[in-house]
Amino acid sequence: MRGFEARGDVAVAELDSEERAVVARVIADVGLLLDGESFGMEREQHEDAEEELFRHLRGFEAALSDPEDPAVLRILPNAAPTDREVADEFRRLTEPELRATKVDRLRVMWRALSEDGPEWEVAADQAMATAAALTDVRLVLAARLGLDTDEDAEALHRELEMAERAVATGDASNLAVDPERIWLGMLYQALSWLQESLMTYVMRDDV
Amino acid sequence: MSTQQQGSTDVVVESRLDDTWVTIVWNDPVNLMSYVTHVFQSYFGWPRAVAQARMREVHTQGKTVVSSGGREKMEVDVQAMHSFGLWATMQRSGR
Repeated sequence: MRGFEARGDVAVAELDSEERAVVARVIADVGLLLDGESFGMEREQHEDAEEELFRHLRGFEAALSDPEDPAVLRILPNAAPTDREVADEFRRLTEPELRATKVDRLRVMWRALSEDGPEWEVAADQAMATAAALTDVRLVLAARLGLDTDEDAEALHRELEMAERAVATGDASNLAVDPERIWLGMLYQALSWLQESLMTYVMRDDV
Repeated sequence: MSTQQQGSTDVVVESRLDDTWVTIVWNDPVNLMSYVTHVFQSYFGWPRAVAQARMREVHTQGKTVVSSGGREKMEVDVQAMHSFGLWATMQRSGR
């Protein structure tokens, strides 16, 4: 994996085919969480007006209360935890649009990673949308990893270092950590690192 | 200034403040410092040094007030922050 670097008018990262498959899969999972629809299996856009209408209605229905899944609540947080009326109205007014924005950004990123070849190219004017989509994916992974505080994130970092050392010294059998947690944690760290490299690109001219 | 005038001014100020809301951005362990800085810069139009200082405030104090105004304006700001994946809330401005 190589982080994003400027190349002409675009930012380019490199991921091998396995890395692309894993990242595309987790992006699709987050899309599914937000939209209930699988990327790559969409019906033709607006092919069926009635289905489209029902989809919107489902979106509005979903927007009436806080999402039950803590990962979705991280992406679509409560806007006024101490004022139910304000929080509910905010959700009703903004959630369908927020969901649509987020799913669209994820879909664009998923498509880019589903193309052939190791290069992941992001146009300059798409860089912040990509960084925002990476944030949403990382928020979901963080919820699954139980990262609620900075201390939790530091603890994960130490766990991953221990796991890495154990693998390097061939001592992996003694490792008292859940392999799935290590796998998710490494994916989280890799995406954080990719986003950081993309931000270096985005902020290259900031003053 | 007479006492009476002072009193009437207070009433005006109070009713205005009642309508004032604030948008707060809270610390979370996920958002990158660089990303938060850039969101503050690009959305609020702050210079980099200011955006960076406010980002650090979020990180060290746990939160910062990023904007204040009418409720509808705050809804727009909170929606923008949520769109970027930042943890933002709105509330009536505490006097």
